[in-house]
Amino acid sequence: MAKKKETQNDLVSGKYIALTNKGKKYEFYISEDSAITYKNKILSISIDESEGFTFIEFGKNKYPVEIIDRNQNKYEVLINNVSYNFTVETPFSFKRKQLLTSQQPSSKTENIVAPLPGKILEIMAEEGVSVLEGDAVLILEAMKMQNEITSHVSGKVKKIFVKCGDTVMKDDPLMEIEK
Amino acid sequence: MDKNGKVFKKFTDRKELYKQQFSKENIEKQHSKGKLTARERIDLLFDSGTFEEIDSFVTSSDVKFGKTSKSYGDGVITGYGKISGRLAFVFSQDFTIMGGSLGTKHSSKIVKIQEMALKMGAPMIGLIDSGGARIQEGVASLAGYALIFSRNVRASGVIPQISVILGPAAGGAVYSPALTDFVFMTAKTSYMFVTGPDVVREVLNQEVTFEDLGGASVHSKKSGVADFVFEDEENTLLGVKRLLSYFPSNNLENAPYVETDDSADRIEERLRDVVPDDPNKSYDIKEVIKLIVDNGKFFEVSENYSQNIVICFARLNGHSIGIIANQPKFLAGTLDINSSRKAARFIRFCDAFNIPIVTLEDVPGFLPGIDQEHNGIITNGAKLLYAYADATVPKITVILRKAYGGAFCVMNCRHLGGDFNFAWPTAEIAVMGPDGAVAILYKKEIAESKDPVKLKKELVQKYRDEIANPYIAEERGYLDEVIDPAYTRIKLIRSLAALENKHVNTPQRKHGNVPL
Amino acid sequence: MSIKSLLIANRGEIAIRIISTAKKMGIKSYVIKTTKEPNETYLQMADEVIEFPAKHDEIPEFLDIESIILIAKKHKINAIHPGYGFLAENPYFAKRCEEQGIIFIGPSPDAIYKMGNKTIAKQIAGKHNIPLLKGSVESIKSFTEAERIAEKIGYPVILKAAAGVGGRGMRIVEKSSEMAKLFKLATSEAQKAFNDSSVFIEKYVRNPRHIEFQIFGDKHGNVIHLGERECSIQRKHQKLLEEAPSVAIDDTLRKKMGEEAVKIAKAVNYYSAGTVEFLLDSEKKYFFMEMNTRIQVEHPVTEMVTGLDLIEWQIRIANGEKLPLKQNEVKINGWSIECRINAEDVQSNFSPFLGTIKNISIPRSKNVRIDTGIREGTEITPYFDSMIAKLIVHGENRELAIETALNALQKFKIKGIKTTIPFCKAVLNNKAFRLGKLNTSFIENELKELYFQEPDEELMAALFVIYSHAKELKSETAAVLNYDKGKHLTPWVLNKRIKSL
Repeated sequence: MAKKKETQNDLVSGKYIALTNKGKKYEFYISEDSAITYKNKILSISIDESEGFTFIEFGKNKYPVEIIDRNQNKYEVLINNVSYNFTVETPFSFKRKQLLTSQQPSSKTENIVAPLPGKILEIMAEEGVSVLEGDAVLILEAMKMQNEITSHVSGKVKKIFVKCGDTVMKDDPLMEIEK
Repeated sequence: MDKNGKVFKKFTDRKELYKQQFSKENIEKQHSKGKLTARERIDLLFDSGTFEEIDSFVTSSDVKFGKTSKSYGDGVITGYGKISGRLAFVFSQDFTIMGGSLGTKHSSKIVKIQEMALKMGAPMIGLIDSGGARIQEGVASLAGYALIFSRNVRASGVIPQISVILGPAAGGAVYSPALTDFVFMTAKTSYMFVTGPDVVREVLNQEVTFEDLGGASVHSKKSGVADFVFEDEENTLLGVKRLLSYFPSNNLENAPYVETDDSADRIEERLRDVVPDDPNKSYDIKEVIKLIVDNGKFFEVSENYSQNIVICFARLNGHSIGIIANQPKFLAGTLDINSSRKAARFIRFCDAFNIPIVTLEDVPGFLPGIDQEHNGIITNGAKLLYAYADATVPKITVILRKAYGGAFCVMNCRHLGGDFNFAWPTAEIAVMGPDGAVAILYKKEIAESKDPVKLKKELVQKYRDEIANPYIAEERGYLDEVIDPAYTRIKLIRSLAALENKHVNTPQRKHGNVPL
Repeated sequence: MSIKSLLIANRGEIAIRIISTAKKMGIKSYVIKTTKEPNETYLQMADEVIEFPAKHDEIPEFLDIESIILIAKKHKINAIHPGYGFLAENPYFAKRCEEQGIIFIGPSPDAIYKMGNKTIAKQIAGKHNIPLLKGSVESIKSFTEAERIAEKIGYPVILKAAAGVGGRGMRIVEKSSEMAKLFKLATSEAQKAFNDSSVFIEKYVRNPRHIEFQIFGDKHGNVIHLGERECSIQRKHQKLLEEAPSVAIDDTLRKKMGEEAVKIAKAVNYYSAGTVEFLLDSEKKYFFMEMNTRIQVEHPVTEMVTGLDLIEWQIRIANGEKLPLKQNEVKINGWSIECRINAEDVQSNFSPFLGTIKNISIPRSKNVRIDTGIREGTEITPYFDSMIAKLIVHGENRELAIETALNALQKFKIKGIKTTIPFCKAVLNNKAFRLGKLNTSFIENELKELYFQEPDEELMAALFVIYSHAKELKSETAAVLNYDKGKHLTPWVLNKRIKSL
């Protein structure tokens, strides 16, 4: 058993699950005195804030870490310049999630959205034509570069919302794919 | 009393009976839908060990038609306890008992707890999970609803009332939440509609699912009925706790204070760079809010509805405030019907509960268009004006960039009743924007010029330099001060401290005539 | 030194680079401030900042020849350094400077023009017997002509747009049956991208190395080379990682290729800094590709192994001085690697990442040099390219250089944006890279993972999220809320409130 974690602040105790986008679960338990347990072992970690950076130290490793986006219980965290997405669940909310996704069919269409603001240079997709996941469907000009936008799903292009020359903002829908 | 005696045993047996109502199957039934039970929700909301249930043995009335199962509590748990250390009252409907339907006893329990909350001057929380009026009890159920509504209205503006929709709320049942101050919904498992999909199908021949007619997403984005939506019930209840922390218990008190390590003298240089040099470029007003408030934390209300205006609760130097801010990222920050209403109601709430209002202004005007005009932008804009003028809490406005035309007046200008009005050097206060003004005033000169584009550009620059700047207003005393953006937090905290004891005498009248 | 003042017609890290040498030489540096970047770091470093006059047209500031010349004249500035990109290889700009009596820090307009046109450049190379990829010297008019030439030089061949750079208008043709279709595609793409449908054809070398030689000439006819750089780590024809020297070049080959590079430069009476690009195939056969008539982004690796200041050389040459060294006095010591750090999201296909830099910590040590134009508060905008810093290291040998680079990358901390640092780490840790097995298809063929992940990294991330979440929850509990303060009202307020109800 490793030594108790040095905490700077107390934490609310309980069982927590960090769920990745691919459905991988990391289960933790935080005790009343803020010790964090993972796979039945108390983790010896420390969070260090110095010179405006936050570091997480675990064993021999010390990595810079930062929460770059948070929406209620959905987090995007950057560690060593690589980002990971998690949803924080309790055991009950996790079960609820599984229940609801099995009961309700997933939506039939998905939108491809602009990952950043720019100008539409070229549209390679056509309404009614099928695309495969990974196919380049659109060229967006931004930051002096031409960015290829690829489809993250396979299906038929149901509707294209933009035309060449249009300026779009981040997250604007570009086209709808019917899965 | 002899512990093994009959008298005491009868007492303990009854307690057992009550507990047995919440059988394992019952609990599973709720859980299998992804919902928590009525009791579990209360346990999450209240500080552990502080909840006291009352009226647990009130039994359902007899019925003339159909049957009812006799149950203790009649499908609702009512009581009081401490939420984050403060007294609050709650009713939590139990969907597993007769579908949580509202019968006479069910409603009288709720009315009783509402009256208690009003007597004690403490917040009232409603956890709604009900199939609606109990058909078997007929008109008595409807009367039951009416009683609840009347208490909602009686308590409106006296104690904070929060409705948390955690299941269905159909028909008349939706009006109680609509009358309360804030509505929470949980994604995918809660619904609100006046007439359900079945009736819609029968009468209008339209097919629509529960979710699409009155689900959380619809009410948070389209109708604005839901002020908050969370992914699951635990987070919803946490949200309620969080929201409460910004409110006083009743309209005589001030909101709780939160000690902060964020200095009241913090100079924030990044605020100088927030407003882009290009007046046509947008920015995110939430970034500005983050830089001003304590520890960058704020709780946004109606986040997905009418996004061209942002309303939220936050703290300045530990004190709870309400913030209203135009959002240039959406619709260029213009005011329209929905945003006027959204902000107006928020102001009325803050005013009722002594929460000071800070307005961050960057508004190019009202949204033009036939749609807006025909749907009453006039009346709705007037709502916002009325709300601002009528509010007697401390009101501070900071003009960040644009403040044109009528919108300038509406967004709490000095003459409307603003206590302190500040502006950043980037402020442009004018009747209308430079392009429009120049086009009107110099129409002839531009038409006759050899290089109209160049002339227009020069005139626009002249307009910016001479008219559309904050210094004219400052010289006339319409603004208290043009401030360095980096000092915004300091100025706000100091002004609020000065306004702590503000009082305004209002004329004696039953109530004004709000342009509803 | 007759150059007393220097106008830098550029921005970002290269502007800072030039300023630092100007300061060293006691030359007054001027820079230009644009409305797109009113607070950039380079503005703080220069001796004087000139505001670009208000724009009434659409020409971007750093491409506005007349305005820049006007600025120089107005402030009586002796010389202009164009940096790289923008007007650096614009012969008309160089000529205008000459006409206006301003010293242009770069080669002659004639050299820029000749080497700027790939067709002319190849013709000159051919005349001097410098190996070229077999192909057409002039642009091809029809696919039948393309087919004929392809038969002669042997498949595979590549069609390239004559007027363009980068990948647009390029098509690799493996066999004759594909020629018709691909010729059509290449010409129409070239027309759309560069308004010029001319394509030429050349032998396609599979998986070549990109080797370039730094050459330097003076106005007295002397030209030398300063060794090679290996720039094979490229993605979509953008260089990401460069090193000097190259694993594939031994002393003999270096001497030979260097001489060829010098020959080409002399053929156009070249002076100032220049780079001659070659392709090296798997049999160590080299082919001239093109010449860049400017100082390049990756010049620091050459500086690290030679110990020279190339910007200083450029200024001295422009001043009329002779080259400070003879060819046999040039020594290459140790190994240098440069990692370009871009504000791009590797996990989203390298899409540009916009945002503001909230904090930055740059490692500084003996063998680590960071050339950057950003600092805390810099906003990454869509107006300029996404490179934010160059991390250049030096080591006694290649292994040590790689270790130093990895250490420096770990110490390079930036908060608020995502960068390509994990990509650089992935390359430096890659087995084939460590063995020096490089070619221009390295990224597609060798990198299994585009970004480097430490083992346990995901667990640590999950841990941090849970920690932050639980901490956040705690901050909303009873312990924190002070109700008494809210209930304690002065009699003044309480009285008035009650009365007003």
